[in-house]
Amino acid sequence: MAATNDSQTIEEATTGMESAPDQKTRRYDRQLRLWAKSGQAALESTHILVLSSSSTSTSVLKNLVLPGIGQFTILDRTITSPSDAGNNFFLEGQDSVGKPRAEEAVRLLLELNDGVKGHSIVNKDVKEVLGTEDGVEWLKGTFSLVIAHNLEKGALDQLSDVLWKDAKSPPLVVIRSAGFLAEVFIQFHEHAVIDSHLDTTPSLRIDKPFPALLKHSLEIDFENMDVTDHGHVPYVYILVRVLEEWKQAHGGNPPKTSDEKKEFKAIISKMRKKADEENFEEAEAQAFKCWSSTVVPYDIKSLFGAENVAPHTKPFHLLLKALEVYTTTVEPYTLPLSATLPDMKASTGQYVEIQRLYKDRAVEERDTFKAILDKIIAEQGEDASLIDDEVIDDFVKNSHILRLLKGKKWGALDQDKEKLAEAAASEESSKQLGIHLALSALSSLQAKRQEAEFAPTLEELTAEAKAILPEGVELPDEHFDNAIGEAARSPTADLPNTAAFLGGVVAQETIKMITKQYVPIDGYCTIDLVETWSGVL
Amino acid sequence: MAAAASQDWPARYFHIDQILDKPGPRTDPAFAAGDGVKDFLRTKAKILVIGAGGLGCEILANLALTGFKDIHVIDMDTIDISNLNRQFLFRQKDVGKPKATVAAEFIMKRVPGVVVTPYFGKIQDKDEDYYMQFNLVICGLDSVEARRWINATLVNMVDPENPESLKPLIDGGTEGFRGQARVILPTFTSCYECSLDMLNKQTQFPICTIANTPRLPEHCIEWASVLEWPRVFGDKKLDNDDPNDIDWLYKTALKRAREFRIEGVTWSLTQGVVKNIIPAIASTNAIIAAACCNEAFKIATSSAAFLNNYFMLIGTDGVYSYTFEHEKRQECPVCGGEALDLTISPDTTLEQLIETLTERQDIQIKKPSLSTPIQQLYLQAPPQLEAATRANLEKKVSELVSAGGEVTVTATTLPFSLSLRISYTT
Repeated sequence: MAATNDSQTIEEATTGMESAPDQKTRRYDRQLRLWAKSGQAALESTHILVLSSSSTSTSVLKNLVLPGIGQFTILDRTITSPSDAGNNFFLEGQDSVGKPRAEEAVRLLLELNDGVKGHSIVNKDVKEVLGTEDGVEWLKGTFSLVIAHNLEKGALDQLSDVLWKDAKSPPLVVIRSAGFLAEVFIQFHEHAVIDSHLDTTPSLRIDKPFPALLKHSLEIDFENMDVTDHGHVPYVYILVRVLEEWKQAHGGNPPKTSDEKKEFKAIISKMRKKADEENFEEAEAQAFKCWSSTVVPYDIKSLFGAENVAPHTKPFHLLLKALEVYTTTVEPYTLPLSATLPDMKASTGQYVEIQRLYKDRAVEERDTFKAILDKIIAEQGEDASLIDDEVIDDFVKNSHILRLLKGKKWGALDQDKEKLAEAAASEESSKQLGIHLALSALSSLQAKRQEAEFAPTLEELTAEAKAILPEGVELPDEHFDNAIGEAARSPTADLPNTAAFLGGVVAQETIKMITKQYVPIDGYCTIDLVETWSGVL
Repeated sequence: MAAAASQDWPARYFHIDQILDKPGPRTDPAFAAGDGVKDFLRTKAKILVIGAGGLGCEILANLALTGFKDIHVIDMDTIDISNLNRQFLFRQKDVGKPKATVAAEFIMKRVPGVVVTPYFGKIQDKDEDYYMQFNLVICGLDSVEARRWINATLVNMVDPENPESLKPLIDGGTEGFRGQARVILPTFTSCYECSLDMLNKQTQFPICTIANTPRLPEHCIEWASVLEWPRVFGDKKLDNDDPNDIDWLYKTALKRAREFRIEGVTWSLTQGVVKNIIPAIASTNAIIAAACCNEAFKIATSSAAFLNNYFMLIGTDGVYSYTFEHEKRQECPVCGGEALDLTISPDTTLEQLIETLTERQDIQIKKPSLSTPIQQLYLQAPPQLEAATRANLEKKVSELVSAGGEVTVTATTLPFSLSLRISYTT
């Protein structure tokens, strides 16, 4: 029963204990539960560049300043107009009219969080910056990420070219919107995620028990043990034991046919000493783990051999290489064991013991992995300290849910006739393509016309959009007409609710890129707020 | 409202007017583009926001910029430091003040011409007359019970003879990177009660695990708060907003964990378990609030079809959303009216039936009172009637209600009754 230790003093009991959280921890409590101190530290050491102070842009910034991004800079020449003052929460109505919009926005955004630094650059636009080598170096070297909302086509193309050419450049988040329509795209070369927080649970390896687990399972005296203890034996031991005995009697094979599987479960059932032993119930429910083979998951296997295209992801590729070697040369040819156990019906002592068995083995496997990694790092001529122990532990712990995203250049899709035709023909993507084409048409028309009051007709937009599609390719009428129709209705509208929606989506994706936790969007995220719909192209 | 309208400067609504000046390809034919709809939106519409927290702050800002000039907001909470990472109308200096009041003041200061009327109190303090004055209600609540209450109140208010009595209810909720927004047209569409079984079941640890065989750090924390606190402090109520109380729980849980060699008790986990903390960030709240206000705008102006009727968002892996039409339930106790068929064993006692009503995901009525057309079976209050009916708890339901008989279930927290039609297994 309870292992109380009355002789423990308060001092002993309370050493190594945390003190009450400080103000900053309390303030950020609700978000630390999502991305922990490591994510927060990454956010706080980031400086982002935002190329507009539009309502959508300030909306994005609000959602980055509040959680404590280190610094931001708004580069925007715009002088606040009466219409700006009407749709942007980070302007002060008519008082802001006539003042540089970026300055006003920075001032009001900084009120949200004392710990954030913000700057405005109001005497240049991005084309000027890109026009000089110094400007380009400044842009590439100062910022971890760049966000551009409704950037004029010429400037956007130039910016994305410059950033794409150099794999060391920051990612570029492109936002385009008009009325109820919007799209978000992240241009990056490669993005590696160790802490993906995906839901899949790691394998307990019941079908391939490590030696200590097998030994312990075989040594349990189910027959003669105390009845209470019997009902508190962790189901993992029960399954390993029954499976081993089955294999001995069946030429080394696990249950295969559905009759055999039924028989297997019946064996477990018969072991019960009382009808209500929950641990045996759990064993029966989890019995399938005995005949599903633990292998390297397809999602992970497909990462092996991936080409490293960016310097900042080199450590990840080295870790992947080590994982590949590990899973192909170290028995039982699976991912390294995870120490994480789900809760299960068990006595405290038994549970703590099985946790320890798993933890000890996991540490052994991690050490084997690390030895392989050290060798690979040395072979590459890199320093042994290239990858922190903490990162290695994290990688091993998350080896079943790693992700490696390969990005594309902004605008590549519009040049790819084949992909466009494919997307137009598929029900899964034609709606998204409609939105993308409508926004592309708006952007290219506006660039051609350069007029103060941009108000294209339906016909002009339709023609411009159709010109992007390859010959003979058409979208289903509904998707095309709806999108073009909305674009014609509100070509230059930065609606407050669309801006707010985008502000949330883009901030969320930015946080994922910076913290390297959770999985960012892969492709064009298109949005239609007439139907409150989103879809990725 | 004439004074407010004059505060609109030329081009103030340049962006929104692009939508209101012309119909789009999916606009309802009934949409009347132009001055009429603008006039309604900016001088006549009256909208109620329930909750001035994570969603509420966002909703208030969006509505104000959208052009709504007459906004009311209800919230019974005061500002806490942990709100400041997302409730952007509040500052450090506002900690301790009522959310509704501070939010209202901020909006009015930032967006000229908008009048925000705050109420620092419970939604239950207000009656039907109060709710009748609004065109729309938007909820950014963090309590299932409060949502059920406002939902039932608005459904009960609907008078088929009076179209004005139908108040569309827009409801939003978030948790970490997930969220949902829905549009409820009381008596027409599925209501909040109809979808009660969609809620995630809260993790409950069996008491024997907590008392005897703890395995997880959470078990140690529950032990400290549920078993040890009453043992040490008797009747003194645990205040989970008091850092000293949390400190005691943390140290107590940690000591127990050490005794059992369990790792993982931290201050953060202690707080999380005791307060049932849900992670929350500005970005998810922004998305869901925007979706809600977008619906409010569409409903108020008919400028586009509104959501039919449930939008879910998952932001952990890319951006994933889906929209579906949640169907009305005929036996919904709020908007359905038909009795819910319940089959029980003839041996089931009244007390066991009550337990079922509390635990069933689609019912979830705590402290229910039950009656038949001829008899009060069990009343929770007042004390004399509770005492008078208590003996019935031990009795078998089959002794009290014949097969096919109807039982009416009520609860003081919910302004509706549930009809059950009981049948027995043979």
